[in-house]
Amino acid sequence: MPTGASSTDTSVRVAASRPAPVDGPVRTVARAVADVGHLLRFRLGSVRRPWLAVVGIAVWLLASGAVAVLPAYAPGAGPNGDGLDVLLVLPSAMAGFIVLSAVAAAASGGGRELLARDPATIHPVSPTTDHLGALVLAPLNIAWMIQAWALLGATSYAVGSEYVWGAQPIIALWLVLGTALGQVLAWILEGVRRVPHGISFIRGLNVVVFGVALGLQLAGELASVFDRVPTRYLVVSMVEVTPDRYIPTLVGLALACVLAVALGAVPAHIAAHRVPRDELRVEAGSYAARPLPSSDLVVSVRTDRASVWRAVPMRRGLLVLALGPAAVALLGDLDWSTMTILPGLVVSGGVLLFGVNVWCLDGRGALWRESLPTSPTTAFDARAYVLAEFLLTASFLTVAVASLRAGPPTPSQLAAMLGATLVVTLQVVGAGMRWSTRKPYAADLRSARATPAPPAVMVGYSARLALVTTITGLTFSLFSQAPDPLVPLLLAVPMAAWSTARLLRVRRAWSDPVVRARVVTTVAAA
Amino acid sequence: MTSPHAEPVVAVEGLHVRFGEVEAVAGVSLEAYAGQSTALLGRNGAGKSTTMRVLAGVVPPTDGRAVVAGHDVRREPLRVKQSVGYCPDVGGLVPRATPWEHVQLAARLRRLPSSDPDWEARARDLLERFELGDVAHRVTAGFSHGMGRRLSVVLAALHDPAVLLLDEPFDGVDPIGVEATMAVIADARSRGACVLVSTHLRELAVEACTSVSVLRRGAQVATMAASEMTGEDGARAYRGLLD
Repeated sequence: MPTGASSTDTSVRVAASRPAPVDGPVRTVARAVADVGHLLRFRLGSVRRPWLAVVGIAVWLLASGAVAVLPAYAPGAGPNGDGLDVLLVLPSAMAGFIVLSAVAAAASGGGRELLARDPATIHPVSPTTDHLGALVLAPLNIAWMIQAWALLGATSYAVGSEYVWGAQPIIALWLVLGTALGQVLAWILEGVRRVPHGISFIRGLNVVVFGVALGLQLAGELASVFDRVPTRYLVVSMVEVTPDRYIPTLVGLALACVLAVALGAVPAHIAAHRVPRDELRVEAGSYAARPLPSSDLVVSVRTDRASVWRAVPMRRGLLVLALGPAAVALLGDLDWSTMTILPGLVVSGGVLLFGVNVWCLDGRGALWRESLPTSPTTAFDARAYVLAEFLLTASFLTVAVASLRAGPPTPSQLAAMLGATLVVTLQVVGAGMRWSTRKPYAADLRSARATPAPPAVMVGYSARLALVTTITGLTFSLFSQAPDPLVPLLLAVPMAAWSTARLLRVRRAWSDPVVRARVVTTVAAA
Repeated sequence: MTSPHAEPVVAVEGLHVRFGEVEAVAGVSLEAYAGQSTALLGRNGAGKSTTMRVLAGVVPPTDGRAVVAGHDVRREPLRVKQSVGYCPDVGGLVPRATPWEHVQLAARLRRLPSSDPDWEARARDLLERFELGDVAHRVTAGFSHGMGRRLSVVLAALHDPAVLLLDEPFDGVDPIGVEATMAVIADARSRGACVLVSTHLRELAVEACTSVSVLRRGAQVATMAASEMTGEDGARAYRGLLD
């Protein structure tokens, strides 16, 4: 009869103390790639409507294919027509794609997670897997998609039907390379953020980079810098399709992609072994007691404000969203008429930080808050107010910085800006509260890498928001030329009324206890 | 157990709660009385927490009737919320608010400043008893599970509610916290409050409560005096009810 091992059995002690075999680099990478597959399948298994995901992917592929090919057959396309103008700016656009990828990944603390941090802690998920997962999720971002489509479409139009089939593989590889390089930069920045004084260093670096860019722009040298970017070689390869240039270009790009993807794992490992200082500071931080607020609404607003402004992703996101477009406006010397599209851009990005799943701010405290004796509309009003306040702060910051170079506006331009800001804020708050109530998700927003809803859902939300707010911004841009400033204000009245009516409809829905119970039990499961 | 001379403070009759296809509670009936504490025992998914959520006015019943402190949970949820103090089973804390901010939110919404001028002193005393005084101004996101549970009990007991609902109050809590929770339950009973405690921990349940209701697969299968659940015999009886 077999018995348990004796405590004096030396063979057992030797086996227990022997270190586990360490995988070599090839096995480690193979394991990381396999783990990405497992995590992806796990995530896909939790998709609520798989058929919709399949339709979404099919539409995305068809749209990308159409964008990549059709402009080549448009009138004027090609280097011998109007396409030449586009061809000349293509190297700069390609370089800009890397900047966008790096900013998006850095703003989200190294990119999105395939598995949220808390559930991931029980699994042996390596930083390499995490890095590869962030790369896979990078395209599930409306800014990435629009930039990628813009590059594909611009290339198609620039090279024309004669070269399009050869040019697009180069652009496709460039999109992969740009995303991977952006990810490398983002992991390096995240690693630096996590050393003592790292956050201050990164902030200083941002100021220096922006200052240099602004200085070059004011000196009229920015265009010549863009003209010297090395992506010119790739653009020339698109229209000089000779075997001794084209094939080596493709092979070189493919190798660079592999190298960049592999390289990203190094800073990802370094960052993973450092403590996220900003999150730690928030979680260990003390906040002095303040006097008791005077009303239910004020105390609810104060609690909701704490949930927003003490969260790392929200603070970091607000700065990126507010200052990014403002920097572009400054560098591009936008006038007030064009600036009316900025509030829409900023608020539709800002609401994606938490506003599309606004009840998840309470996390597991949602059940307790729902048990408190107050009117449900008070809780709704507080949440909508805090969301609007957050979005308006970001918009104000953007417009204030952008206006430094635009000079004083005309009364009509000022009225158009105010109208646009009011209307897009109401539109976006209404949409955010509606989606939060209809489709709540259990989301923990402690980490800068967290999103309030699954990435694919976020893409749908951002596309719809971008469409509505861009149209609104362009409409007010047209009316900013009106001779009477009352005209844009009168335009704002019906639009604001319509958005307010929609917001009030959601407020009525929130009064239904069955609706609230579904929402709070869902978000409390985070 | 039941008191033939008193009206129940909590009366549940044929309670059903459905979430889509899932029937979380399937016909629970129970009564709980002032000055008494009742334990809800049962395995995971037995319907204990959902029953507690209904009694707290957080989840409306799909069918059946639940009356808390004389108020129907379906028709008067706000009155029910005014009468109860609820410690939810999961977390129960807003992650980026401090304990004192939780206390202030509860105090404001429960009108404590007008009903009890000394509420701040009492709140501080409760925090101290649960050894949370030192962290009263730290955000709760950094709290351990046990600290979170202890704060949830403080928030439930803060306003001396007529009905105290504690869902898994001992889960992951250290002996000091368990003692403080037991004291809160005893205090509540002594001032005539009705206490309901949902837990997996039979031994703590019989120590804290006067009666026990056992739920299985969403339905109530037994109600008995807590003394019948003590010792080895009680453990065997409990196991028998779970299978």
